[in-house]
Order: sequence, then C-alpha cells, then structure tokens
Amino acid sequence: MTVVSPAAEPRRGKPWLQRALPYLLVAPTLIFITMFTLRPAVQALWDSAHSRPRANQPFAYVGSQNYEDLFNERHFIGRQYVKILHNTLVFTGGTLVVSLPLALLLAMLLNRKIRALGLWRFCVFYPVLLPMIGGATIWAFLFSDSIGLLNTILRSFNLGTVPWLLDPDTVLPSVIAVNIWKQTGYFMLFYLAGLQGIPRDIYEAAELDGAGLFRQFWNLTLPLLRRTTLFLLIIGVTFGFQTVEQLEVMGRGNPANRSNMLLYYIFQLRNEKLNTGHVAAMTVILALILLIFTSSNFFLFERGRHDEKA
Amino acid sequence: MTRRLRRPGDGWRLIGTALTVAFALLWLLPLVFSILMSVRPTRSSIINGNIFFACDLEEEPPGPTVGVGPCWFTGDNYAGAWEVAPWPTHYANSILFVTGTLIVQIPTTTMAGYAFARMQFRGRSLLLGLVLLQIMIPSGILIIQNFAMIRQLGVFDTQLALMLPYWGSAFGVLLLRQTFRGVPLELEEAARMDGANWLQLMRHVYVPLSIPAYISFALISISSHWNEFLWPFIVTRSESVRPLTVGLNKLFHTTDLGANYNQMMAGTLIVIAPLVVVFLLFQRRFLESFAQSGLK
Repeated sequence: MTVVSPAAEPRRGKPWLQRALPYLLVAPTLIFITMFTLRPAVQALWDSAHSRPRANQPFAYVGSQNYEDLFNERHFIGRQYVKILHNTLVFTGGTLVVSLPLALLLAMLLNRKIRALGLWRFCVFYPVLLPMIGGATIWAFLFSDSIGLLNTILRSFNLGTVPWLLDPDTVLPSVIAVNIWKQTGYFMLFYLAGLQGIPRDIYEAAELDGAGLFRQFWNLTLPLLRRTTLFLLIIGVTFGFQTVEQLEVMGRGNPANRSNMLLYYIFQLRNEKLNTGHVAAMTVILALILLIFTSSNFFLFERGRHDEKA
Repeated sequence: MTRRLRRPGDGWRLIGTALTVAFALLWLLPLVFSILMSVRPTRSSIINGNIFFACDLEEEPPGPTVGVGPCWFTGDNYAGAWEVAPWPTHYANSILFVTGTLIVQIPTTTMAGYAFARMQFRGRSLLLGLVLLQIMIPSGILIIQNFAMIRQLGVFDTQLALMLPYWGSAFGVLLLRQTFRGVPLELEEAARMDGANWLQLMRHVYVPLSIPAYISFALISISSHWNEFLWPFIVTRSESVRPLTVGLNKLFHTTDLGANYNQMMAGTLIVIAPLVVVFLLFQRRFLESFAQSGLK
C-alpha cells in the first residue's frame, strides 16, 4: 500500500475519487442492466411500431397497426394471439384459485407440532427446487396416453382412458395441474412465515371468548394473512405470465394452440422474419402486464417496509 | 381436581395428521413413480400397460437384473441413459454457468448495494429506479432482443452468453442494500477513523456482518440458474456448452416415447438427483432463503 502524505498531495486526488466513487460502484450493475433490460425494452418498443411488407424491404413506421392486428380476430396472427392470451389468463387464474387455498391449508397443517415435520415439508416443497423441465418430463409420462399412470388407474377401474395432452379440452387443465404441483410448496412457505408471525395469545383470547376453530380462521387467521395473500397473488400472476418450460415438454402448445401461452408463443416465433413487429408488440404487452403487477407489489410492500424502518 | 376437559381440537388434530400424510403422499407420487419406472425392465411396462400393479413377467429379462418376488429390477436404464447424452459435459456446463454467474454477481451487487445504502450522490433515486426496472421487466421476456444482442457481441454459443445478462442483479442489490443499512454506522465511522479505505471497510466491516444475506443470495442465484432453461436453450447450439436442463429436453424430444420411457425416467433422475440431495442436506437454509426472496 502506498501512503500519500497529505503535505505532498494537497487534497486534490481524494475529493475527486470520493465524488466519483458512488458512480464507479453502481456502474457495473447499471451497465449490465442497461444492456439486457433497458436497451432491449426500448428496442421492442421501436420494433413494435414498425413493419415491413416483404423480407427484403426496409422497415416502415406503422403506428399502432401491429397492436391492432394482435387483437383483430380476422387477422391471421390475431386469431392465435387472442386465444393464447385467453389461455394464459385461464392458466394463471386456474393455478392460483387452487394453489393459494391449498398452500394455506398445508401451511396450517405443517405449523403444528407433529412428528417427522421435515419429511412432510420435504414432500411438498421438493417440486419447487426441481428444474421445471425435469418435473414436466415426469408428468408428461403420468399423462401419457397408453402407458401413463393416470390412464392405468382409470383402466383398472374399467373407466375409459383420457388422452390428457392430446385433447384440446383436457390439455390446459393438465398443464395447470402440473403447475399447482410445482408452485404450491413455494406459496406455502410464505404462509408458513405469515402464520409464525401471528402471536399465539390472540388465539388463546379468542378461545376464551368461545370462538370455534372456524370462527378463529375466518376472523383472525385469514384477515391477518391478507398482506401475504395479496403478495402471493401478485407474484403468482407474474409467474403465470412467464410460463415456458412445461409447455416445451407437454405438447409445445398443441393441439391447435389450446395450451399455448404468451412467452412460449414469442419464443416459437423467434425466427420469423416477416412478423418481427407483431412479436415485438407481444413482448411490449407482456412487459407492460408484468410491469403493472411487479410495480404494484413494490409500492404495496417495499415502500411500507422502508417506512417502518426509517 | 377435575379431569382435563377434552379440548375441541383433539378430533381435528387427527384429521389434520391424516390430511398432512395424504397430501405429502400425493405430492411425492410423481417422484416415486419415476424412480420405480427407472429400475423396471423396459419390456414389462409395455407389455402390461400396467406399471405399478403388475409384475407378471414370465421370464427373466436380458441383462443384469434383481428379482424381488414376481418383479424384476434392473440398472440397465441408467446405463442406457448415461450413454445417450454427454452428461458429464452437461454437469460441468451447469456448474460453470452457476458459479461463473455468482462470482461476478457478488462484487457487482456488493458495490452497488453499498452505494445505494450508505452514499449520497446526485441522481441516486433515478439510478436506483433504473436498477429496479430489472425486477419489474424480467430480462427473460426480452429474449428476442437479447438474443440479437448476443449475436452482435459475437458470443453466441459460448458460456459467456449464458452468464452476461445476469451479471447485474437488481434482486442482489436490493437485498444487500437492505442488509448494509442494518450495519451500525458507528462501526463504519470507527473503521474510517482507523484510516480504512473503501475496500478495507467492505472486507472488515460490511461483508463479515452480512454473511447470512450472502448465503441466501447465493442459494437463490444458484438454484434459479441451475434450473434455467429458455435462455440457455436460445443462446447455445453445441452440446459442449449446453447445461443439464437443455440436455434433458433434448433427451426427451429424441426418445422414442413408447419404447424407452424407463430410460427417459432414469435420465430425468440423473439430472434432478443432485439438487434433491443438496436440498436434503441444507433444508433449513434453503427454506429460510426462499422465504426471504419474495418479501425483501
């Protein structure tokens, strides 16, 4: 280490470095975020307002035409897009409607003094840690037409078999089931933390007042976990809108795009040369949806936390 | 005095335990099923169309097998799955991907985390807003534009292409910013009095006091990138750089499904086993870190 004596170097170097230091410290992070979030977001915005009629012609400004095409059921891309947007909403809603109450139930079951707690917790939580590709591979097999477990069970009771992933009407519910299996353990973790934050004596007081278990649940547990539920709803929506992996393994959006979803559709169209404007418009819409949900999450929770601290 | 009154919860407790066991078994079923499949001879599952319940294969299948009652078990599927893909390469690639990402993330998030936690400078809120943008628009959805960027940079089909977008981590910056704010300011002042420069301040004060946050961040970063599929799939082409998830996907799509599901399950288990083992070893830490990941 070189020690610069104050007499030899009168104050000039130090304040300069001191003023620049914060910018130097944030620079690496900002450079990567600019390169891979800001720049591509602006690019998608620009691309979504441009189009070219033929592959060798230059891009021309088309205003909101690409967006209008997406929602125009007579346009070839709109016919698919509206269906896929609908699928994504059903998938996200269907997952949350089942997995949130289930997660709360499991959290309440595991928040008691029971034997082999770690084992039960592992059983519910391990899907969270598996790569979705691996989990979906197993499930693709459970759903398999001729030798899958589900159809084997149906057959052994002499019920007809169901072509789970091949039938347009059963493919989306099947994919939702896999998602519930994967995510419930994650949601449960937050409910578990929420439950452990509720003081025990509240329940003792309620019990003295003669409130039964159901009353305690409706009037105490549920309202006290409102923030957790809201938080999980929001991140659940953002997860749902980024679904890709299980679609790649469980039918690639088929049959007839009945299980396709927003991000996977963008991924499928990545090599299209003519519809870059439409694909960019899809990206912008997806980004806006996520932006709304994640920023509401931030303002509802992150803000509150800092106020508490300050 | 009086005998202890029967509490209204006693019946519920029994129902609760039954429910716990039922859900746990239901959730475990896919894993148990895949393990069973992976050790059964290929033919028996096809002939019967009945994997769980029937073991009535008349003759011993070829290859090394172990018979338990009427059932035959074999290690063939694992041997077969091990050969169809270069798993050691995929393993090495996954390990390189997660460590290479984390090793750069730690200094970048530490630096920015400290600046946003403890320094006053012009444009601070604006820059913090820019960082937050990464949480609000996950770079995973900007795949098409980012793929073009990787092409432009000339790093397509390299390990660098996998890691680059993750070297700046808004989540890490926010987590460390919050943690650093909890470090008593007097410690920093004392260190400065002793003539510590910024690096020494980090090394002797902030980093040692924030080890739990670093562990949480490391576990979350490692497990999310280990499981990542879409980005590696898009920016790589050769098996020599592709991670496990992409290798498994290829195995799935190239396996003749009717004929070789047993081998497919063995391959899947080869991929997911290490993560399950690591989770079992560090269960508590994992659960704590994941619980932190959302609410921070």
